[in-house]
Amino acid sequence: MSESLLAAAAEHPAEGLRAVRALRELADRLEALQVERARDLGWSWQEIADALGVTRQAAHKKYGRRI
Amino acid sequence: MFERFSKDARAAVVDAQQVAHETGSRTVDGRHLLAALASGDGAAAQALRTVGVDPSALADSLRAELRAGGLDAGALASLGVDLDAVRARADAVFGEGALERGTGRGRRGHIPFTPDAKKTLELALRETVRLGSPAIEGGHLLLGVLRATGSPAEAALRAALAGAGTDGPALRVALEEQQRRAS
Repeated sequence: MSESLLAAAAEHPAEGLRAVRALRELADRLEALQVERARDLGWSWQEIADALGVTRQAAHKKYGRRI
Repeated sequence: MFERFSKDARAAVVDAQQVAHETGSRTVDGRHLLAALASGDGAAAQALRTVGVDPSALADSLRAELRAGGLDAGALASLGVDLDAVRARADAVFGEGALERGTGRGRRGHIPFTPDAKKTLELALRETVRLGSPAIEGGHLLLGVLRATGSPAEAALRAALAGAGTDGPALRVALEEQQRRAS
């Protein structure tokens, strides 16, 4: 990663925002895969929620129906 | 509005949902609709062929784009995140293609339309009224995509038209010509 590219990204809100969006998408996908795997390995919703730093209700609401 | 849809247009809307399921999308936008129209054999695909765009190639490239979703490798690289490295790791832990596939569960139900997809349907209705057609056909849906300025679907359609050495007005002429012949 060149310094100039980082500097350019910092200068343009559009680029910076696009990067944040891409990062969020990536994080969301990884989270869904990790939660699914944890459930398959027998983790409780409480354990998953604690690891993610959210409430059990929040984790269950987000993934309970999907996984 | 759906009661005014022809069989052809209804099929495109249902197929757009199917495309969203296949590509692991969480919403249905105009690109799903465009892929569905291009995959069909109705007026929309015929008009695309008339102006020199290969509808199945367009559908394939849209599906590939949708499968990658918001996984924007260039934007991630600007933060120093190597998407290929993340993908390799995800493949190893969750199986081949996991990042693109998603969990593969829980996307069986209805996938909601984005505001730009709804706007496209509204624009299609306006085209239908403007052209004095009795029902919303696949061709009107394609005109809706064309008129949804600034949407990802419109951008993809314009790029495909430009790639074939043609443009939006030419596609409109081809569609309206078909309409006249059909009525």
